[in-house]
This record gives sequence, C-alpha cells and structure tokens, in this order.
Amino acid sequence: MEGNGRSVNGSRHWMALEGGVDGSDRGGSYTSRFAGIGVSIPERRLSTAELMASTAHQTHIDLERLTGVRERRVVGEGEDSYTLAVDAARDALAHADCAGEDLDVLIVASITHYVGGLRMQLEPPLSVSLKEALGAQRAMSFDISNACAGMMTGVFILNDLIRQGRARRGMVVSGEYISQLGRNAAREIRTIESDQLASLTLGDAGAAAILERAPEGAPGIEVAGFTTLAEHSRLCLAFPAKEGLGASMYSDARTLQEVGIEDTVPLLREALDQAGLAFDEIDYFIPHQTSARAIQKGVKEFSESLGGAPKHVVVTVDEFGNTSSTTHFVALWKYLSEGRFAKEDRVMLLSIASGLEVGAVIFKVDQLVERYGHDH
Amino acid sequence: MGTIIEATATAVAQERSMAPGALEAVDAAARSCLDRARRTAGELDLLINVGVYHDKILSEPAFASLIQEDIGANLSQPPDAGHGTFSFDVSNGACGLLTGIQLVDGMLASGTADLGMVVASDMDPEPGVSQGFDFPAVGGAVLLSAVDSRAGFTAFRFATFPEFAELFEGYVDWHDDAGRGLAHPGRNVLTVEIAESYSARALECAESTARELAAAQALDLAEVDLLVATASVEGFADALARRLGVPGEQVASPPDGLADAHTAAPAVALESVGLPAGSTTLFVSVGAGITAAAALYRA
Repeated sequence: MEGNGRSVNGSRHWMALEGGVDGSDRGGSYTSRFAGIGVSIPERRLSTAELMASTAHQTHIDLERLTGVRERRVVGEGEDSYTLAVDAARDALAHADCAGEDLDVLIVASITHYVGGLRMQLEPPLSVSLKEALGAQRAMSFDISNACAGMMTGVFILNDLIRQGRARRGMVVSGEYISQLGRNAAREIRTIESDQLASLTLGDAGAAAILERAPEGAPGIEVAGFTTLAEHSRLCLAFPAKEGLGASMYSDARTLQEVGIEDTVPLLREALDQAGLAFDEIDYFIPHQTSARAIQKGVKEFSESLGGAPKHVVVTVDEFGNTSSTTHFVALWKYLSEGRFAKEDRVMLLSIASGLEVGAVIFKVDQLVERYGHDH
Repeated sequence: MGTIIEATATAVAQERSMAPGALEAVDAAARSCLDRARRTAGELDLLINVGVYHDKILSEPAFASLIQEDIGANLSQPPDAGHGTFSFDVSNGACGLLTGIQLVDGMLASGTADLGMVVASDMDPEPGVSQGFDFPAVGGAVLLSAVDSRAGFTAFRFATFPEFAELFEGYVDWHDDAGRGLAHPGRNVLTVEIAESYSARALECAESTARELAAAQALDLAEVDLLVATASVEGFADALARRLGVPGEQVASPPDGLADAHTAAPAVALESVGLPAGSTTLFVSVGAGITAAAALYRA
C-alpha cells in the first residue's frame, strides 16, 4: 500500500497531495469541482491615502507605491466577520443553485471571529451559527484556522472528502473583518521598518466556495497540495491588541516574502508535476494577494525557475487590499463575474501564508463560467 | 482499512513561568506520544491542533505550526525530497479532538497521509485578568495510523444544537479600565461563561447523538466495553453512562484535578485505561454550540 508522501510510481513528494496523474492508489474514486464562488464585499472604501493620513506619527511611507494597494473595503455599521461570512455563503449557494440543506460539510476558515462588533468569539465555533443561518441541518460543521491559507486549507480538506465519496457537496466560507489591524497599526507605526507595516494593506471581505462531486468524466480539481515549512512559523504573529480594540499583527514581512518565494519553487514544481503540467500551461495564476510588488517578484522567480510563465497573473490587491484567507476566492469571483475565463481555462491558486503554509490547487474552470452568466 | 490509535499521551502544564503554558504542555504531550509509539516527528504527515485557549490567544499563524517547529517535524524541505508535514488548527470546542480524528481518518483512507497526530491544550492566557477560565492546564495528543483491517474508528456522528448556543461561550472583548491611566484606558479580556444548565443540556445532546450513532451502526449499547465521555464539566462521563446503561466500571475516568479538562479531555481519559484487543469503545464529546460528537472504536 502506498502513501505517506509516496505516489503509485514510487516517487516521493514533500507536499500532502490529492489527485494528479499518478495519484495514490488509495486516492479518490471521484472528482470534485467548484460549483459556486460567492463573496460579500463591504461598500465602504478606505483609500491608502486616507489610511496613511490617519497615522499618529509622521511616517513618510508611500504605501501605495510600495504595495500597489490603492484602496481596500472596510466594514460598515452592523457588519463583522460573521455577517460577511453569511452573505458570502448565500451568494455562493445562489451561484451553485443549491440550498443549505444540500450541504454535507460546512467549514468556516476565518482568522477573525468578530461577532457583534469587535467581540472575538472563540466558542461556540462560528460554524454552528452559520449552519443554522443557512439551514444546513445535515452538514458536519467545524472551524479551521490556518492564517491566510484558511480557505485553501478548507478546500484541501473538502476535496479529499468528496474524492472519497464521504461527502457529495460542501462549503468553505470565511468572513474577514481584519481592517481593524490596520487601524491599530496606524496608531503605532513610525517608519517603513515597522513590524506592523503589513497590517496597513489589509481589507475586509467575505468569500465562500462550494465544492461538489463532478459528473463522471467531467473536469474539476486536478491537484490539491499543502505543506507547512514550520522553521518559519514565528515570522508573523497576530493576537488581541494590547493597546486597543481588536487585534494586532507583527511580522517580519521581508523575510516572509523572501523565504515564501524561495521555498515555494520546488513545491510549485511538485504540484505541477503531479498534475502533469508545465507552468506555462496554467492559464490563470492566482497567488495570495499581499502586495503587487511581491506578486510580481514571485512570478518572475517562479517563471525563471520553472522555465515558463502562466498566461495571466491575477492581481486584485490594488482594489481590495489583502483580504487574508479570502483573497483567492475574491479574485476568482471577480474574474468569473467579469466573464474573463473561458470554459477550458486552467487555474492555479497558490497560497503562501504564515506558518509557513504553502498550498496549491489546480483546476479547470469548465461549467463555472455558465453559473456567472457567461458561456465562453 | 481502519484508523487506529497508535498512542496517546498527556502533559500537565507547569505553574506559570517564563515558558508559554499551553504551547509547553502540548509540545510535551506530542513528544511523549511519539516516544510511546516509537515514532519520530519526521514521520508525521499531518498535525492538527484542536486546542482553543492558546498562549496570547494567538490567531495567526495556526498554533499547530508552532508545535510542528517545536517538535522538529520536517521543518524545511531538504534538496533530496523526503516528505513534509502539513499542520493546521481545527476549532470545534470540546468536540475538536474527535473532529480532528475524523479528518485524519479521511486523509489516511485516501492515502494523502500515513501518520497523523491530533493535539490539544488549553491554558488561561492571562491569569488574574481572564474571567471564568477554570479548565485545568493540560495538553493531550493522539497518534493515528492506518491498518489493513476493519479495526479502528468505524463510525462518527456529529450534531449541533444551536438553541443552546448561549450556554457555553468563550470570547475576547474590550473592557474599559480608567484605573490604568490615560495611556492604557482598557484591555482585551478573555471571558469563559458556562451556564448552570449546560451540564443537563449537554447530557441530553450526548445521549441522543450516541443513540443515533448506535442505531445507525446496529450497535447494542450493551456491547460497549468502554465509554470515553467528555464535556469539560465534572461528573459528565458517569452521568452519561447511567443514561446509556453502561456500567460504571466501564467508564474511562480522568485523574483527580483533570475531570473538567477541555479540548484535551478524551486523551486525558484514555490515560487511565487500555483498549484491549476486540473491545468496543464509544467516544462521546460535547462542547459549546452545543455540538455533540460520537465515534465508535474497535480495538
């Protein structure tokens, strides 16, 4: 029997991998696919100029030039992590043309757990009230936490359950009211060297992804893989603020970016190999949205190392900021809504997050385009 | 194929010191668990932390990644391949351990992993400031692997009872504190609130979920050799045993002082008993939500 990072042809891989051209002999009998992506984007906009004008100290930081973040959305009255998650979940259900009662699994992946303002709910898990709100009585529900890789981790878990036939349909959802970390940082930040600089890029959003068993022979998720390079686990820490409401985040952003790019190269190669693909066979590459510059640098290095570049690189950080665990699905929703994908397009989602978590999901868009009113 | 428990372990956190408590306890439990199974950290494919009350109430990164680093499980990718460890946190209150076990069970069955460990610990992150935190500081670990037989965990059942959501709450919110001066006008405070009626409702939810699992598996509860039941309150296991008709001597009881252990409770209870070959164990956990979880284990 094979396993433990070993595929059927005997080669070993570093990532925990699902699917692929040489998937495990204990692997799934089914293919899972995305059936709907939903979002909840707050209406209120906060420009980078406004945010930087609110800093307590004169910083002389040109954050927009440094990160490419022009603005981010922030919650308004009555909005929080929970409401963002519920609204995104309902949007995803509508696109997937199903109801809460059709869900076998419900996974909430938010980093922030703010309910009723800045009250961080640790217990009960958010999934209990979300399950009730959606009428998902049958669903096994739980919360996960894996920093900005939370939703991608949920997709990895759900993909595994669907591939085995343990679940037929499930949802991964997250609501991130995380802009308050930026407000806390604005009170303390003094220079570009501040360990709270990355907090200024954060924006609020909810996102939800519904996965379902694909009909036999239909395309879907080809490979999903994850690993944790824990030697970097303490490069970014977030916890309740000492001097204000909500939380604060402290990171060595530069090191995180450097090791994130360097250590991801062999893992990207591994995921692509498992899918039997070259990097330039990816039509749309959606990396985690931290900063435009970091994305540009990462893609350049990945492309040089892997010998080819994806046809399109998706960047949404300029208009939404870093929406933490939801970024990939906000980007995916935007491109679906704008009719940018063709049915035959292949998408790669890449997560690089605190931990250091590295995860990849490769899938064919296929029927998803039709669910957003497009047929090309 | 079945998922078996290779080993369990617990570690009681030391008195508050410079060392972080919850992390220290769970690291020790994880190491001890691997030692008991004669395994190394490098063999782990999956590491799932299910503890709720961490040092500093850390929300990022996953607490599991810190544990992975501390125990030295595949910290970085060597040039000559090998296999890595994937770590993340699951939060499902006192049902977290069984939730984590079910996720490992799935990934063992699919071949995504060969060895997984579920760990938990809770500790008051700020003694003297937090309100209502009374759980004993203990860490636990359960090591799981796959075997080619029908042994191991054979069925799981989860249920939620949102009408009782307010009976058990843990949250952090801002408390104004003018006495700390203008520079420190208040602080974020952890509060845990467990209503008096929680124990009774937890028993009802546990019984119905356990009976549903038994019915679905055509199990006569008289066949249960061992009951491992936890709900973060003292006396729960014995009370549930009476309702299910399981004799008192077949209840796994945690040692004195740990009877109201929180997320690590199933591991704590297993420390006092063995799982003899051929035996049937019924696991039942109840936590905030109210969420109830039940699982059957054939040794």
